[in-house]
Amino acid sequence: MKRKGAKKVKPGAGYLKVRVAVITAVLLCLFAAILLRAFHLQVIGSDSYKKRADDQHIASITVRSKRGEIYDRNSSELAVSIDVDSVYAKPAAIRSPRAAARKLSSMLGLDSRKVEKRLSSNKDFVWLKRQVDLTSEKRESILSIEGINLVKEARRYYPHDSLASNLIGFTGVDSVGLEGLELYYDDMLRGSVRKVEGQRDAKGRLLMYEDADKTTSIEGLRVELTIDKTIQYIAEKELKSAIESSGAKGGMAIVMDPYTGEMLALANMPTFDPNNYRKYTPAKWRNKGVTDVSEPGSVLKAFLMAAAIEEGVVGPNDILYCENGKYRVANRTIHDSKKHGWLSVSQILKYSSNIGSLKVGRELGPERLYRYLLAFGFADKTGLDLPGEASGRLSHYSDWSKVTLETVSFGQGISTTGVQLTTALSAIANGGFLMRPYIVRAVRDPRGEVVRETNPAIVRKVVSAKTSEVVTRMLVGVTEDGGTGVLAASGSFDVAGKTGTAQKPDLVKGGYQKDVYIASFLGFVPAKNPKLVIYVALDEPTGKHYHGGTVAGPVFSAIAGQSLSYMGIFPDNPIDGTVAKKSRPGFRLASATSSDLKLLKDGSRAVREHRDLNGKKQKDSFEMLLPDLKGKSMRAVLRAANSAGVEVEFRGSGMSYNQKPAQGRSFSEGDNVVVWFR
Amino acid sequence: MIDRRLLTHFDWITLMVTVALAASGFATIYSATFTGSNTIYMKEIYWLIIGTVFLILAISLNYSILERFAYPIYGASLLLLIAVLLFGKATGGATRWLDLGFISFQPSELAKLALIVALAKHFSSRAIPPRGLGLKELGPPFALMLVPFALIAKEPDLGTALITWMIFWSIVLTIKVRRRIIAGILLLICAFIPVAWMGLKGYQKARITGFLTPETDPLGAGYHLIQSKIAIGSGGYFGKGFTMGTQGKLMFLPEQHTDFIFSVLSEEWGLAGSLIVLALFLILILRGLNCAENSKDKFGFLVALGISAMLFWHMIFNLGMVSGLLPVVGVPLPFISYGGSFLISSMIAVGLLINIKIRRFIF
Repeated sequence: MKRKGAKKVKPGAGYLKVRVAVITAVLLCLFAAILLRAFHLQVIGSDSYKKRADDQHIASITVRSKRGEIYDRNSSELAVSIDVDSVYAKPAAIRSPRAAARKLSSMLGLDSRKVEKRLSSNKDFVWLKRQVDLTSEKRESILSIEGINLVKEARRYYPHDSLASNLIGFTGVDSVGLEGLELYYDDMLRGSVRKVEGQRDAKGRLLMYEDADKTTSIEGLRVELTIDKTIQYIAEKELKSAIESSGAKGGMAIVMDPYTGEMLALANMPTFDPNNYRKYTPAKWRNKGVTDVSEPGSVLKAFLMAAAIEEGVVGPNDILYCENGKYRVANRTIHDSKKHGWLSVSQILKYSSNIGSLKVGRELGPERLYRYLLAFGFADKTGLDLPGEASGRLSHYSDWSKVTLETVSFGQGISTTGVQLTTALSAIANGGFLMRPYIVRAVRDPRGEVVRETNPAIVRKVVSAKTSEVVTRMLVGVTEDGGTGVLAASGSFDVAGKTGTAQKPDLVKGGYQKDVYIASFLGFVPAKNPKLVIYVALDEPTGKHYHGGTVAGPVFSAIAGQSLSYMGIFPDNPIDGTVAKKSRPGFRLASATSSDLKLLKDGSRAVREHRDLNGKKQKDSFEMLLPDLKGKSMRAVLRAANSAGVEVEFRGSGMSYNQKPAQGRSFSEGDNVVVWFR
Repeated sequence: MIDRRLLTHFDWITLMVTVALAASGFATIYSATFTGSNTIYMKEIYWLIIGTVFLILAISLNYSILERFAYPIYGASLLLLIAVLLFGKATGGATRWLDLGFISFQPSELAKLALIVALAKHFSSRAIPPRGLGLKELGPPFALMLVPFALIAKEPDLGTALITWMIFWSIVLTIKVRRRIIAGILLLICAFIPVAWMGLKGYQKARITGFLTPETDPLGAGYHLIQSKIAIGSGGYFGKGFTMGTQGKLMFLPEQHTDFIFSVLSEEWGLAGSLIVLALFLILILRGLNCAENSKDKFGFLVALGISAMLFWHMIFNLGMVSGLLPVVGVPLPFISYGGSFLISSMIAVGLLINIKIRRFIF
């Protein structure tokens, strides 16, 4: 406001009017300045200011949707994603790193000094511990520390710990598949990564993701395996006990459905717990049945015989001279473990004569042997949907040396994978069809709709049904009295199979290592109507026994017996004639029952279907008592529930404090068991 | 006390403008703060109710009472200012509040009104020399202003101190000051600026330089200003819509509900909204001047003039500040900014304007 001269201040006077007019003018000028400024900012500069505003507060973040679960063939969860807490710190907001570190280290199980060092860093943000299980009290006391915060992250959790771990694999801390199925099916399991635009406030916090709520997030797909959790469990358990008793370094057990090529179990030893995969050496992560090759040894004779019979070069009853256990070929002397004179072709297989086999191989000739081995799928990937499959090796017959035909005939000079052998034997078991093995049956979206389905696929016909029948009969002979595989026999079922005791090549000196073997058994049951093809191999058994028949045979028998019993396959050969006469419905054979009990204890279902003597399906229900599931972590409850064969519904998170029905109550299949956590 | 004639001459325009400003202020405060967990807009409702009571009181009581008690009121305001310095509540490096337990009160707001009343009383009770006020005549009123000015500046509350300074000169210059004195004062100011600069605190200097070149320190001294300009500028012609503003709510804009409320308003209502609010202020101040012009006595004239000046300078400094034309000094926008004491003092001020206007025919 500016001055204005007037002689006298007198309201209503003319001077005053002038003065007020001047004041008004000044006022209007300043108003105009403000107006111009508003125009300048809001019209002329508007676009650039709008852009600057957007740059400041529009944040685009990537949202990773929940990773899909992995189920076994009976929809039992093998891998799930759960939300857990990750603890982070904003070091700038922490006044006393030492005090905070002392509090945190005990709660998180970390070294106090290391935590203090992290808290004193000059970064804006540091992780303290990712993906930890926290009780609600711990969560509160962590949040009460200034500058420390929690964020929910999805962690992959494997409820059965090491079960099938080598084939399932695991994910890294950011839920990216690193091994096994988690890696092979990562694209599908991972779901979509979407960019979501939201708002960011001046402190960098993200707000108001309305968009994220409206659009349905594309969750990871669910992968359903052909693996049967129980058979996998049986295979792993039996393999493990065999390794312990034989002193072997490791081993594998592969179970396949011969008619479909579905993998029912793929057990590996040594194994690891995918929930803590970092604690194990990468060698233990390997799924050796798929990724590792070795010489098959005598088990390959089964395919030699199939080829020879199919080509009609020999019949099962043709006899060949086995040179009394010692035979010189070019510069090598071939031995049999026992001295044999004349043996029929069936006996050659039964006693696993190398000399007899090489003579059969000579009858067949290199070209046909090579062709048949390729037809059975050797030296080529089977196409199983797991990462890192090896193809094995068999050189072209034109490159064979003078002795290659003979050694290949009994399984040396060729390398194979366990899955190849299992798939190849399936072709003999199922009447001659080489199937493409697979491990993922279906991929479903979160609503359960099938996105992708794998159906059994025939790769080619290898041998005729007739040949397969003849060879099967010969293979049954192997497990009969006097055969090398007699320990693989099961009391209740005819077993067709072949033993193998492969020497391990010496990779340093060449030739073979002394007294270092892979003991194996490859076979199928029941011989007449095969349900399972099983391959068992034990790597370097160190005990007195190292032959496939003595070391791997019993494992085969145990896996076959328990699995068939679990599957409810009625035995071909009731052990005792009197048993068959007592045709009470639901009557179980003694041998099957004992394995049942074992199974029950080990965690199969409470109710199992089987056929009675009239071929009708029966259901047995066993009364089971519910274990105490209170006061446990989620993982412990899962473990307890699994071993009791209970499906548990989880409510809340933290430690369990209540269960329904109560401990000690009986329950049967279909009962809902609910456990509350806090 | 209420005469029927008072109602016939009632200044409805001033009242309606006040109501409109207070309503848009409340809406903007709501929009700026509703996302937070605090209930600032709820408190604003209480302040509006209390303010209305004071508005009615200020209209009802004949302003001649003020003339009678001008100096006691002035003295009381000084005591309160001293009390602030002694017992005040310190927030953010400044002691501006008296905590009365149930309510916090800012005596500097009362002091502005008390100063206006005291100056009006002083000048209305003596003759003005024809050539204008000389040094002798300027001395006592200057002292009247200087005491509260110094006390307020000590808090420190530079914004309010500046307003008292502007009120004084607006009144004095309107009355008339001798030319020599004006020239002398201008010279003195020019000489004083460097000295004042030395005496300013670091953050105060930063504010001033920040205003001149905000982009050189976008995260420091220039931050307020850049954010305010972004908020206003991004509003465009018609704004982002009520409660749709982003810069204030997301806390890019500090003090979005107090000194920088206008940025929120113009972000959400655009140029159109800014113009309407500016127009309302223009009407209010013109009504104030009109009231002064038509007042029946010298005291009424000076009070109305002082009040108009107060509202005007508040508006100019605030809008100049938020739009980057003036340095950032904490001056709130009448009726729009959140703040109980200032809302009450503004309500009283408008009440007095209406009071003076409706009593112009009553002797």
